[in-house]
Amino acid sequence: MNASPESPSGHNGPSAQAPRPQRFASWQEHHGWSAAASLRRLATRPLGSLLTIAVMGLALALPLAFYLLLGNVQKLGDAMGQSQAISVFMQTGQSGQATQLLATQLGNRPEVASVAVKSPQQGMEELAKMQGFSGALELLDDNPLPYVVQLQPRTDVSAAAVETLVADVRAMRGVELVQDSDSWRKRLEALLGVGNRVVLMLALMLAAAALLVVGNTVRVDIASRSEEIGVLLLVGASDAFVRRPYLYAGIWYGLFSGIFAAALAVVIELGLAAPVAQLSQTYDGKLQVAGLPTWLLLAVPLAAAALGWLGARLVSAWQLRKAA
Amino acid sequence: MIQFEQVSKRYEGGHEALSQLSFEVPTGEMAFVTGHSGAGKSTLLKLLGLIERPSHGVITLDGQNLARVRRGGIPKLRRRIGMVFQDHRLLMERTVFANVELPLMIGGVARAERARRVRAALEKVGLLAYERQLPATLSTGEQQRVGIARAIVARPTLLIADEPTGNLDPQLAVEIMGLFAEFQQVGATVLIASHDLPLIKRMRKRVIVLDHGRLVADLAAQEVL
Repeated sequence: MNASPESPSGHNGPSAQAPRPQRFASWQEHHGWSAAASLRRLATRPLGSLLTIAVMGLALALPLAFYLLLGNVQKLGDAMGQSQAISVFMQTGQSGQATQLLATQLGNRPEVASVAVKSPQQGMEELAKMQGFSGALELLDDNPLPYVVQLQPRTDVSAAAVETLVADVRAMRGVELVQDSDSWRKRLEALLGVGNRVVLMLALMLAAAALLVVGNTVRVDIASRSEEIGVLLLVGASDAFVRRPYLYAGIWYGLFSGIFAAALAVVIELGLAAPVAQLSQTYDGKLQVAGLPTWLLLAVPLAAAALGWLGARLVSAWQLRKAA
Repeated sequence: MIQFEQVSKRYEGGHEALSQLSFEVPTGEMAFVTGHSGAGKSTLLKLLGLIERPSHGVITLDGQNLARVRRGGIPKLRRRIGMVFQDHRLLMERTVFANVELPLMIGGVARAERARRVRAALEKVGLLAYERQLPATLSTGEQQRVGIARAIVARPTLLIADEPTGNLDPQLAVEIMGLFAEFQQVGATVLIASHDLPLIKRMRKRVIVLDHGRLVADLAAQEVL
């Protein structure tokens, strides 16, 4: 009989308490064990785990898909904006020199992508090419057309900035008329603003749904292991010790569903590529599918893992209070 | 070590499991609590581990008033107590080794030290050869001994056992009681609830007799015949 190792005598204080560095190493070890054990438990119920991950993943993929859609609509709007130049008609009698000066001034503005000056002569030639005009033009003694400056706003400039630009040009000396068709642009921008807000609200709601899904799964998990938890508590386990594997389970659920959601978003992106390429041809190939940024694809699994942890933490706190 | 002062426990629904119970168990003593089923033996042990709280009275453990221990302090208290249960309360999906290791894991003992102590405890209960097995592959008596190994592995100053021989044949019961007596010999305080009178008599330790929650007899070891 080897009695001495279990001897309670000769120890000061609670003998189950190990020295601090030992406790830290052991704490780390338990984290590792909890991470591995919770993963094993997920694997022992593959169907249930996959269902949870799929439901959570779909909930997270939905806002991503909308975000993708929104990004592409925005790009489409930009591409359309490129074909919509602003035409500045000069007053008749303004010289080519004065027009050129104005064009240079406008070209220096940061929101302007390009300027082109069209002389009355060029205007006349364009008109002449149109059917039915050539005969009528021959009857004119002199050219009644004014100089025209065609402005192309930069695509990354907001509607408000374009509006300011138009107002500024209108106020310039020698300008007769500014023709801009940017009301559609404003509407689109407003619509995109609404869409952005909808995506944000949707993302919050679906994140809450994901939280509930994880929470419920972990709740069932804990309930099915109430006996084990009871034993752990009886031998002196702290709440943190007991819930650790469940928190890791939450993290795993979140991480896997986040990866699933990101993968799903990439699939949707690839699926969009072909129709967008077709559409692109109608815009001189200027249009490219707006993909999800890499940081977002990496952030989604991490955020989902945090969400899983939170769901597990909330449920376990509540459930352990009941158990003790 | 243990001090009960006018302790009563009334469960929800009005059943009074203990009424105005007062006794003391000095450090290093081994005592039995006996009585018919429903006499309050289990309740008494539950109050010590703060599995239940008393309705009235004061329980002091090692100079500490248990009423002062809040929920967050319970784990620390329980780590000082080794508990053995009639139904073992083992984790069936973990090995014998892992079960015994549990209190040391919780106490934050380093891996090498844990292995050493777990093997020593298993050797003490004669189950060293079974460390890799799952509890389900063991007999009831062996499972009970795993439970005892788990209770003593962290070297608690108090060992409490609720009907530890309830499901065992007499031969095994004697062996298990012997283990508790040995543990007392190395300095621990031991309190065992049991209704097995012949076995208690054989052990010749102090006997506290309860009836309907009241103390009806408190026999010193030399008075037990």
